[in-house]
Amino acid sequence: MMLRFTLARTGHAAVVLLGVTVVVFTLMHLVPGDPVRVALGTQYTPESYQALRTASGLDRPLISQYFHYVGSALTGDLGVSFRTGEPVTLVLLERLPATLSLAFAAMVIAVGIAFPLGVYAATHQGRISDTIVRVVSQFGVSVPDFWLGILFILLFSSTLGWLPPSGYVPLTEDPLGWLSRVVMPATAVGLVSGAIITRFVRSAVLESLGSEHARTARAKGLRHRTVRRRHVVRNAMVPVITVIGVQAAILMGGVIVIEVVFAWPGLGRLTFDAVSARDYPVVQGAVLLVAALFLLVSMAVDLLYARIDPRISIR
Amino acid sequence: MRRLSRWAGAALVSALLGACSPGTGVDPGLSKDGSGVVAAIAGEPDQLDPHRTSAYFSFQVLENTFDTLVEPDRNLDMRPALAERWKVSKDRLTWTFTLREGVTWHDGSDFGADDVVYSYRRIIDKKLGNAWRFDGVKDISAPDDSTVVLKLDKPMYNLLSRIGGHKGLAIVNKRNVESGKIKTHPVGTGPFSFDDYNPGESVRLKANPHWWGGAPKIPSLTFRFIPEPTTAVADLEAGEINWTDNIPPQQVERVSQNQDLRLDTAVGNDYWYLTTNQDRRPFDDPRVRRAIAYGIDRKAIVQATQYGNATVNQLAIPRTNPWYTAYSPYSHNPRRAARLLKSAGVRDLKIDMLVTKEYPETVVAGQVIASQLGKIGITVKPREVDFATWLDKQGKGEYDMLMLGWLGNLDAEDFYYAQHHSKGNFNFQKYSSPKVDRLLEAGQKESDRKARKVRYAQAARQIADDASYIYLYNPDIVQVWAPQLKGYKVRSDGAVRFRDVRLAE
Repeated sequence: MMLRFTLARTGHAAVVLLGVTVVVFTLMHLVPGDPVRVALGTQYTPESYQALRTASGLDRPLISQYFHYVGSALTGDLGVSFRTGEPVTLVLLERLPATLSLAFAAMVIAVGIAFPLGVYAATHQGRISDTIVRVVSQFGVSVPDFWLGILFILLFSSTLGWLPPSGYVPLTEDPLGWLSRVVMPATAVGLVSGAIITRFVRSAVLESLGSEHARTARAKGLRHRTVRRRHVVRNAMVPVITVIGVQAAILMGGVIVIEVVFAWPGLGRLTFDAVSARDYPVVQGAVLLVAALFLLVSMAVDLLYARIDPRISIR
Repeated sequence: MRRLSRWAGAALVSALLGACSPGTGVDPGLSKDGSGVVAAIAGEPDQLDPHRTSAYFSFQVLENTFDTLVEPDRNLDMRPALAERWKVSKDRLTWTFTLREGVTWHDGSDFGADDVVYSYRRIIDKKLGNAWRFDGVKDISAPDDSTVVLKLDKPMYNLLSRIGGHKGLAIVNKRNVESGKIKTHPVGTGPFSFDDYNPGESVRLKANPHWWGGAPKIPSLTFRFIPEPTTAVADLEAGEINWTDNIPPQQVERVSQNQDLRLDTAVGNDYWYLTTNQDRRPFDDPRVRRAIAYGIDRKAIVQATQYGNATVNQLAIPRTNPWYTAYSPYSHNPRRAARLLKSAGVRDLKIDMLVTKEYPETVVAGQVIASQLGKIGITVKPREVDFATWLDKQGKGEYDMLMLGWLGNLDAEDFYYAQHHSKGNFNFQKYSSPKVDRLLEAGQKESDRKARKVRYAQAARQIADDASYIYLYNPDIVQVWAPQLKGYKVRSDGAVRFRDVRLAE
């Protein structure tokens, strides 16, 4: 059953990915600005222009460019970067660990904040503490993460001197070094995601508190705390996991501005640079990779549902 | 469809496995052992082949790894580098360079005249971006291992700044080029050799103990890529880096007062200008162009775009350059501007101005200029496009007015010929003046330096009078470093040289 479900979802994901390639490919070619002209910069001469145009296949009809692209993508070849001439697949995989580790840390922070706060606010509905949580989370949702990031740098690095302002150390090489550098960007992003998730946790728990089965459980004479833990929170998990999944997927996409602020060598910064340089192959590759990660996360979420709530069938 | 999904699944799994493998590289820039210098630049080099890159960030790194035949000193006069001396024949058509003895490549092999010939021919034969600098060079040869001879079609008195004023004319290693490694692992003859590269993060160089100019006093030099200027300054204050040129303009004042940092500026050799499309009415009338020149307030533009960190100028060449001429015909005079417009019969003029976020100063200046010209009856509508589109529109002449800067010029010819000669490659504003053409051509042929200077000064004044370009300012070069870094000097050509610096305890 589980296997069939997984396979079906994989097939579904493949179709979506194919759709993504069509959309990205079309969009990239609709954006004004000639990538060859940009790639050449001051090196521009009519001869070098023609040469690079031919070499990168941009002189062929759009449809043939597309099929060529999808064909090679299936074998893992996403083309070469216009700017550096390096294989896009390699460039993306180089940047993936930095982004994954930042996204992971940010999620830990977001969920770590959102759960206790959301449940607390819901179970204290209408009291001052609930209002405080709601106001603070509203603030968190409205604040841009890059602004928080710059604020953190000014406070914790420039003024207090506690943390290095920027840079990246792989987790596998120096866990402590990684931690000291990931904590600010991850918190900046995590607080914003956390605020969003808090609001969902609160309303999901509220809804679940008022539900029939919670009342039944209480009527059975179970203690409040047991009801809360076993029935209410567990039931509230389904919508919450969806939000967490979406937030996690967004983070995987690389939090573009945060990566720029903290000089973090991840996918977001790569995409940022590639878009401004009209580096089509890199932008297409990055979007494709992010879409794949997105689908992977949503599959994981679906599988989790089934575990949490047996009523959700996995046919 | 089933097969497709299996493929996609396999691709996903392999991508994730790849992600789980340990990251590459070892924390280069962040070494706290205090031995090397860590410099933060605002962006990442696109590649490290000096002949092919056009990115400023690449040249910041390459300045320290490659040599040219001659190079500019601090006053921008040409000095020996790989060539120890040179002489010019009586007819001024043959230049003979004698190369320095005992120079070696970073890989240990010997440097010789063949390398120079190979490098220059590569630029010419492959029609690389700098090929135009060899226009008028008929032949390049190496009669023996320490002599290079350049034969010219006609006398060319700026030959030295053509081959030495830009790292794009660096002498490269044939094996390094042919193996394709030069893009990522360059081999040069310069004071530092390439050591390690971390994509998105940093590039590390190490001292070349055999450099002809003497071994550098620091064992390593790391360039970190920190795009956000606030972050770069915070990194400097935290001691994570030792040097940066990425300072938010609005913080220059504050940083200059910080006793724990050294900040210095130089009037840059770059210039920013405004120009109008002289193929279109009414900009074909010099009175209209002059009206705009009188209608703008350069000081206000400098304040808005650079927070005052620039020097207003009405010609291209800054006073730090040996070819400087003092000339400033335009004051901010709206009444005079309005009179000029009236005499040209222009009323209620509505024009667009191309601006681009990739050069944010153009966006800011666009607003300031719109408000200034509004007062003389010209309605300016800034049109914001991305830079690729901008270049395209400029090339096709689809604009009324635009603003941009020119970088990296040394000789007077670099400042004027391509931009204002009626056949110039970059004369996108379609300016045409027989008098200026004549003067610019004479400047090329003139042998006497003083006489050359007179010619170019005449041409420059005419260009300003005709308002082919309306010159605005030379931006300051602002760099800041930790006090432990000794011996560093800001240069007006913007070259970032670490060969002479040392780190104090």
